[in-house]
Order: sequence, then structure tokens, then C-alpha cells
Amino acid sequence: MELITGISASSGALNAQRTRLDFIAQNIANANTTRGPDGRPFQRQIVTFESQLLNASGAGPGNGSALSTVRVAEVSNDPTPGQRVYDPGHPDADEKGMLTMPNVNIAHEMVDLITASRAYEANLSVVKNSRQMALKTLEIGR
Amino acid sequence: MIELVANNANYQLARRMLDASVLRHEAIASNIANAETPGYRRLDVAPDFQTALRAQFANGARPEGSEVAALRPRLAEDASVRSVRPDGNSVEIETELLAMGRNRVEHEYLTDLVSSNIRQLRMAISGRVAT
Repeated sequence: MELITGISASSGALNAQRTRLDFIAQNIANANTTRGPDGRPFQRQIVTFESQLLNASGAGPGNGSALSTVRVAEVSNDPTPGQRVYDPGHPDADEKGMLTMPNVNIAHEMVDLITASRAYEANLSVVKNSRQMALKTLEIGR
Repeated sequence: MIELVANNANYQLARRMLDASVLRHEAIASNIANAETPGYRRLDVAPDFQTALRAQFANGARPEGSEVAALRPRLAEDASVRSVRPDGNSVEIETELLAMGRNRVEHEYLTDLVSSNIRQLRMAISGRVAT
């Protein structure tokens, strides 16, 4: 049991959503990067979440189901091939003049960005509520 | 004398309900945290707490403080909601946020109730109205 209830679940989620925001920013920033460190076009990166049991916070045999927070399970590359465009003047174009663009779809990323920031806000409002509840609990007997 | 207040059914009831509301808040925090985890099932205070409480008050009975104190709220997966999402997650963020608001008011009310019980005891001891 913690003094501010539920804070560990929320903090894990805030961390995970922020990581997701970081990777969305990276994807958008590299939407036109045709040459990465390995010489190939940038590949969109996807963040996957998994739930993590919180054993320390009072969830035990007597307490029923265990609480769980969320964490980033893995960051993987999106395997879909990038769009091929004809641009013979581009230094990264092949001998036929075709250029492989990164497989980043800006519209996709923007939707993801909105989802992630709303999820972040929802968790933040839980944290605010937890704090108010903890303060109210400390007022018992006053 | 002080035991009389501490064993008072009302006081014990408020205590248990307060435990349940803190537990429910933890469950809601976990639900919102996992709002986008595939396959996650929403948690809530197990319904047997409510049914046990109802049973104690059945037919207008007034339970003893010790009877109420024996109740223990616990968490369980909420079997009443079905997942309508393709990822098998049964959390609806709007429902959770509303439940959180409601739970917060409940928690506030119960802390006030416990406080007023203690205040009455203090008033009886000192003979003064606490400010």
C-alpha cells in the first residue's frame, strides 16, 4: 500500500506514453530521411506496450486480483516497404532513378500523437485525483 | 469508552467503505494505465463486498461493529463488461474517468464521516465544541 494510492500504476503509464510520444516525434522528424546510418531509408518504429504486475502495492492473495501498470515491451521496426518515387536527380536514387522513401505516414503518426497525448492527460488526471484523495485522507481527525 | 466509538457500526462501516474506495481508486488507476494494453481486463472491487454488506442490512437489521469489521473488500476482474474492441481490452476511458470522479466524492464524504465521528468523541471528552 502506498500513501498516494495508484501512483505507481499511473507513473508507469505516464512513462510508457511519453516514450511513445518520443518515438512518434522521431518518426515524423525522419519522414523524409532516405539515408540512415546503415545507408538505407529510415524505417518507422512502433512502440508496443505490455502490462506489468505490481506485486509491491498491496496486491496479494488476500486482496484478490493483482493491479498492473504498463511498460514498453519493445520497440520494433515497421516492416512495410516504403513508397518508391521517381527522382533521378536525388543522390540516393538507384540506377533506374527510383528512390525508396521511408514508410512513415504523417497522417498515421498524427493520429497516434493525439491518442498518446490524450492517454497521457487521462493518466495525469488520475495522478491529480490520487493526490487530492491522499490529502483528504490526511485530514481525517482534524 | 473509546472502544465504544471505535466499535460503533457506523464508524466501522465508514472505515470499510473508505478501504473499498481507496481500493477502487487503485483499480481505476490501473485500468486507465492499461487503457491501451491488448487483452487487459478491467479491475474493480469484487461484487461480493457489496452483496455481503447488503446481506448484513437485510430485513432492517443493524449489524454489530465487529460484523462489519470482518468484511474485506478485494479486487477482481470485472466480469460484467464485455470487450467491444478488437484487441480484447475491456477498458472504456470515459467510464473510468466518471467512476474516478464519483469515487472521489464518495471518498471525500467518507473521510468527513470518520472525522465527524472522531470530532464527536473529542467534544464529549473536552466538553468544548472543536473549531
